[in-house]
Amino acid sequence: MHCKKEFYRKLILFLVFIAVFTCFSLAQTFEAVKNQVKVHTLKNEMKFIVLERHDAPVVSFHVYADVGSANESYGITGISHLLEHMAFKGSKVVGTTDYEAEIKVLNELDALYDEIKKEKSKVKPDEAKLKEMEEQFESLRLKAKEYVATDEFFDMMSKEGDRGLNAYTSNDATQYIDSLPSNKLEFWMAMTSDRFLNPVFREFFKERDVVMEERRLGLETRPMGKLIEDFFATAFKAHPYSHSVIGHMSDLQNITRKDVEEYFKKYYGPSNLTVGIVGDVNPEEVFEMAELYFGRIPSSPKPEPVRTEEPEQWGERRVIVEARSQPLIVGGYHRPDARHQDDAALEALANILGQGRSSRLYQVLIKEKKVAIQTGSFNGFPDDKFPNLVAFFAFPAKDHTSAECLELIDKEIARIKEESVTSEELTKFKRNAEKNILNRMKSNSRMAALLTYADVVLGDWKLTFDQVKDIRAITEEDVKRVANTYLIKKHRTIGEIVPEK
Amino acid sequence: MKKQKITNFTVFFILIFLGVSSVFAQKGPKDKFVFGPLNPIKMPKVETVELKNGLKLFLVEDHEYPTIDLRAMVHTGSVYEPASKIGLASLTAQALRTGGTTFQTGDEIDQELETMAATIETYMSRDNGYIMVSVLKEDIDKALKILTDILMNPAFAEDKIRLEKIMQSSVISRRNDEIMQIANREFGKLIYGRDNPYARHPEYATIAAVTREDIVDFYKRYFYPNNTIMAVWGDFDAKSMTSKIRNTLGKWKSAKLNIPAVPTVKYQYKYTVNLIDKPDVNQSNIMIGHIGGLRSNPDFPALNVMNSILSWDRMFKKIRTDEGLAYAVWGYYGASYQYPGIFSNGAQTKSESTVYAIDLMLKQMKRITEEEVTDDELARAKDEYLNTFVFNFDSKDKIVRRTMTYAYYNYPLDFMEKIKAKVEKVTKADVLRVAKEYLRTDKVQILVVGKKEDFDKPLSALGPVNVIDITIPSPPQPKEQ
Repeated sequence: MHCKKEFYRKLILFLVFIAVFTCFSLAQTFEAVKNQVKVHTLKNEMKFIVLERHDAPVVSFHVYADVGSANESYGITGISHLLEHMAFKGSKVVGTTDYEAEIKVLNELDALYDEIKKEKSKVKPDEAKLKEMEEQFESLRLKAKEYVATDEFFDMMSKEGDRGLNAYTSNDATQYIDSLPSNKLEFWMAMTSDRFLNPVFREFFKERDVVMEERRLGLETRPMGKLIEDFFATAFKAHPYSHSVIGHMSDLQNITRKDVEEYFKKYYGPSNLTVGIVGDVNPEEVFEMAELYFGRIPSSPKPEPVRTEEPEQWGERRVIVEARSQPLIVGGYHRPDARHQDDAALEALANILGQGRSSRLYQVLIKEKKVAIQTGSFNGFPDDKFPNLVAFFAFPAKDHTSAECLELIDKEIARIKEESVTSEELTKFKRNAEKNILNRMKSNSRMAALLTYADVVLGDWKLTFDQVKDIRAITEEDVKRVANTYLIKKHRTIGEIVPEK
Repeated sequence: MKKQKITNFTVFFILIFLGVSSVFAQKGPKDKFVFGPLNPIKMPKVETVELKNGLKLFLVEDHEYPTIDLRAMVHTGSVYEPASKIGLASLTAQALRTGGTTFQTGDEIDQELETMAATIETYMSRDNGYIMVSVLKEDIDKALKILTDILMNPAFAEDKIRLEKIMQSSVISRRNDEIMQIANREFGKLIYGRDNPYARHPEYATIAAVTREDIVDFYKRYFYPNNTIMAVWGDFDAKSMTSKIRNTLGKWKSAKLNIPAVPTVKYQYKYTVNLIDKPDVNQSNIMIGHIGGLRSNPDFPALNVMNSILSWDRMFKKIRTDEGLAYAVWGYYGASYQYPGIFSNGAQTKSESTVYAIDLMLKQMKRITEEEVTDDELARAKDEYLNTFVFNFDSKDKIVRRTMTYAYYNYPLDFMEKIKAKVEKVTKADVLRVAKEYLRTDKVQILVVGKKEDFDKPLSALGPVNVIDITIPSPPQPKEQ
């Protein structure tokens, strides 16, 4: 339903995303929670990770599909997110009044759409014929609509009390979330297994229009949205992190229902789905039901990993968006993926550089020099699964410039590369990290998200709790080393919003 | 005897069979589900304490994780600042936190708090001041000491006031960068009036006019323990937590208060069409509505049900799902605690479908005032409300924060349960009645922020167009030395 705009997520979460434990009582807390987690993998390789928590009679579900815009190629950019929208359109049972009759019309509609496209692509399209076909298309679309039970999936879920009903698509993943009263467990199983077993992508063309409006809303009418799109297109010349999650407008205008069906077949096999369930449930009962409901989904091979790797960068890159807006500057250096051994030290680096009122950038740019009103630094830009960027940003204060900010940021980076950070700063980082992860574990829904993320992206759900051991081990020397390894001017991209004259 | 045994065996086998079938029979989404009783909600005990200095506390123990959180609401707000110094209230809240104390500079406080992974933040809204504290339980003494120092002995350092003024002026300079922000701000001004305390906003001149003395005065007028209520939850024993607070914030001196009531709103219903031309966008931000109401209105439960149907069945399903015209679309009669909310309908659609979308939205708004909703719509809206109700109680912090909010606005502490009881009884006739009574669909104000050149029809098709100028007034000239 919602396309996760990674940049804004990172801006908001950069303060709260890190994982460490330094405190003994917290280490015990985490170990206790870890021991409560139960895991079960079906024969078709679909995996369920369950944490029982009986504080309140509610349960949260998180279905993590290991597919995102990084799996897309030219021509179908945006299809992961479009598919996410289509996954709310129902099945052979939900969302229709007569599936057998409906599917015939949908197939006719697809065939006619292909004809129209073919005609349009001719050097000299037959305008009269096109007009006739388009009228026919509209009347077929209305005929198909007669069989639709509008938004029945939403209605059925919300009637039973689905508080968190939503979904997110990012560069790495597509995630479906629900929160229900805990006596509705079997209902969720029935609805969700049906959703991924027999989806019907009805009302496709109107939903594609909705996604185009979403692109205009989040990206095309917002200077910051434009900058972020161009920034990734510049920083990544080969790897598909180069295109936005929402996709290019011309691709959205041309993706077909068949494209989405093929994409679904390729990426929504049970081996590519991981489910996190946290709340007032009995794990054994969950696993039994999972066998019954999700076990019937036929196995399919795990899709081939993304082939393209980002090659080494040959020099600093710059990109500018001119807009009716005040200035903004963002910069990013290439770094390895989240599984890499340097990940923890890079988290420390970003935290000490730009997270919190006593961070280096805040102290210098805002408190001392007063050239910026907001500044920060974070990792995982745009996402974590593949080599990504460690990034910084600044919103210049009124009558100040991006150049002034960048000069000060560069000085701070140089200082860390030369002197490293202080032991006080490192201790502070570790302590904040441990508290932040604790706060994220408090809600059922976020806990379910953490477990599936760790399992898919980091390779083991236990890392939700254990990755902190790496962080505890970081030294000042490590931070200095990663700063010198990755914060290399030649390997960075700078993006700016420049006010239109 | 024998017969009896057989019977028992038969029963035994039937039970096994039933048991197996009830667990192992796969159901389709539309099969009948019989939901077992929901495990009971464990309601936490909310301790209520009032210290001698008048500070009211609500405490809830929550031992799952070793953290402690605290929220406070101070009876103040930007509605109390003079029109010539808009921004004063917010500057006070910010400088209170950043400007240091008699004993420590603001930077030292930042350093100390972040070293223990604690946060203390202060905010100002239209009708309250808000304080947020979050800390690991082992550091609660240190955090309380700092909080008490900030509230009792703020230094309001000049340098930090200057910084906060730069921040606020920079925010003004950026306020026309994003079209959604423009639409929300200007729509609020259309409804409440551009100079009304519930809609007005700072300008360079009003920020420049604020002095340190103004800030100290504002602080001295509102920041007292007998003007503050506080919610505390986390891993503590309520008794010992109370004594910790008594030993720290208990020293905060009370004062005789003179807090005026919040301003009232006089609304004149009228039909208007308003445009902000933004030639650099390809999508229009549409807002339609008029004044809303209060939560204390006895019709609030029925309006809640109406909102759900208008927003979901009428706006989302028609404008988004059927027509593909917008990503976000809504319609609801807004209600606040102590001043009227806004009846607000909105959507963002490509420039070329602007007037078409407005027509459709107006049609849906009218329809809900003219005919009864369907049985299905009513059932869905009520079921959703009632079945999600448990989520109002799924964490202890939600419960204690809600208690504090109700206490702040003088609402009954069981307000939510009262609303629920009434929602259960809402009928189709009730929904139609409140729609007719509260929605004046012939007298709505329409605002479009978009590229008028590309609209499907000129906005004048809807009526005479008032063009709104959003140029930011220049800063005052610096005084000569």
